[in-house]
Order: sequence, then structure tokens, then C-alpha cells
Amino acid sequence: MEELDDLKQIWKSHGQGYEPKKESEIALMLQGRSNSIIGKIKRNVWFELIFTIACSIALLVYTFTLEAGAIMWTIISLLVLFTAYLFYYVKKLLLLGRFDPSGENIKSSLENLHRKLTIYVNFYRKSYTVLYPVYFFLGLFLGALDTGLDGFLNRMRDPKTVITLIGVMGLFFVLGFIATHFYLKKLYGNHLLKLKELLTELQG
Amino acid sequence: MTEDQEKSFVKLVNENQGLIHKVCILYETDKEARNDLFQEIVLQLWKSFPTFRGEAKITTWMYRIALNTAISGLRKLGRKIKTEELEEFHFNISDNTEDNFEENFQKLQWAIRQLSEIERAMIMMALDEVPYDEIAENIGITQNNVRVRMNRIREKIRTLIR
Repeated sequence: MEELDDLKQIWKSHGQGYEPKKESEIALMLQGRSNSIIGKIKRNVWFELIFTIACSIALLVYTFTLEAGAIMWTIISLLVLFTAYLFYYVKKLLLLGRFDPSGENIKSSLENLHRKLTIYVNFYRKSYTVLYPVYFFLGLFLGALDTGLDGFLNRMRDPKTVITLIGVMGLFFVLGFIATHFYLKKLYGNHLLKLKELLTELQG
Repeated sequence: MTEDQEKSFVKLVNENQGLIHKVCILYETDKEARNDLFQEIVLQLWKSFPTFRGEAKITTWMYRIALNTAISGLRKLGRKIKTEELEEFHFNISDNTEDNFEENFQKLQWAIRQLSEIERAMIMMALDEVPYDEIAENIGITQNNVRVRMNRIREKIRTLIR
């Protein structure tokens, strides 16, 4: 039975071997949601984008009820950060867009998916490399506001404080980078690896 | 898309659903996962239905999307096709020709599942009489490459079934 024609005969001789779907079931499937990796990531990014917009609007409205002071400046800093996030999410959606495997053969589709996911993951990693310093200096700025600018500057004259601050900053960046790397590897690492293996097989 | 388009699409899928079922059977082991994959393939077909201009054969178009979805799609990580033991099928020795066909089919299905995802796609199309040039076009390799790989696949199946 090992020759192709024999195998074809066996393949065709088998009855349906599955439970046929009714037309109504197929029609219902069209209302469902895609579980493809691109579809899932897009949904998550859309959720994050909408959540950020909602929080920004709520904070903006709240800011108008405040008098000038530390809390107001804190909220304004957050709003600036959220604005940066809006661009970040839009860029993510643009990176994920225009992926349509239907017109491509399997090899091109795998290459395209691998390229898109790699760009996406790299963008994610780079963005956080930029955002960690932003978070850190924002924290420093808020701390300065809280203690008073003069007091803060006085403390910064002490070499011990500066050294401690640099140490904390280094630790913050390293831990942040490791956490992001671990998170990305956990989320997309296996899938990227699988795509790479499939491409290697096709090129072999 | 219009209601008429939806109706003709549903009719088309209904008429060719055997192809989708076969892809699901070869790429997923449990019933729930097969149903999920079936739905995902239908969704991807529906998404690209407006771009289908009828230049390619309908089955070629369906194969391309179904296999693309099965291979590159995200099935739950770690939910891989397990290397199944042949004994799991509990073949019954019978003189009945129909039973023999069923047994042979089960063996063949088991052997195909042991192949890589790309090899599974190739043998499946070959068994369904898809010409080598179309297999080459769907996979994205040359016809010569298809021939070489098909020989290797046949060898593997021969060893597995022996």
C-alpha cells in the first residue's frame, strides 16, 4: 500500500469519516471571532487603546476640577504619557495590519507572518526601552514636586544620593528589560520559533 | 458583503466541506480543536472570498487558505499533534473488505500525522489528485522540489506503515 496510487485509493475509499456541518452551522460560523495570532493581538491592542482613551478622558475631565498643585501636575504628566501610548498603540495596529495570507502561498505567508511578528516584537521591546527612562524620570519629577524643588536640589548635591539614584536607575532598567524580554518570549517566542522551523524546512 | 454573496459562500463551503474536514483531521487530534480549526478556516475563507476571482480552481483556493490557516495559525501553544502509538487504533483483523479499507485508512491517517506540517500538506494534496504544479504553487517551492520531497514522504510512509 506504499505506492502513491495505492495510497490514493485508500484515501478515496474511505467514507466521509466526519460529521458534516449543516449550512445553518456554517452561516453561524461567519459571526464568530478569528483565533489567528494576528487577530488575537489586534483585539488586545484595540482593548488597550480604548482603555487608554477612556482613562485619558476621565483624567482630563478630573483635571478641570483641580486647582494648580502637585496632584494636577501628576495628572498632566500621566496625560502626556497616555498621549505617547496612543501613538504607540496606533503604530502597533499599523504593524499588524495588511496581513492577508489568502493570496499568498504557504512559504510567502509564513515568511510574511514571521517578518511581521518579529517587527512587532522588536517594536514592543524598543518602546519599553524608551518608556523605562520616561517612567523613571517621571517618578523623580513627581518626587521632586512632592518634597519641594529646593529640597530636592539640595539632596542632589549629596554624592551618596546621586550614587544611590544611579544604582536604583540601573537596577530599574535591567529588571525592566529582563521582565519585558521574558514576557515577550513567553508570549511570542514559541510561535516565532515554530515559524522559523517551518521556514527552515521549506528552504532545506 | 451582500446576503446573496453570503448564501453562495455558505453553499460553496457546504459542497466542499470534506476538504476542510480532512485538513482539520490531519492537523488536530481532539474534536474541540478540530471544530475550532474548522471555524477559523471558514472565517479566513470568508475574509478572502471577495478577492477570489475564479482564476484558480475553487479547491486550489480553498486548499491554500485552509493549509495556511492550519500551519501558520496559532493553535494553543503546546497543543501539538502527539506522536501517537499505532496500537492506539486497536485494529481488528477481519476478512471484510470494508473493514480492511477502514483499517488501511486509519493506518494511513496515523502515518501522515507523524509527518511534519509541510509534508502533511503536500501528501494531502497529492492524495486528493492535486497536480504537482499546483502543489508547488500552493507551497511556494519548485515542481522538482515537490517531486524530491514526495519521494521522501513516500519513503517515510512506507517505513511507518511497515
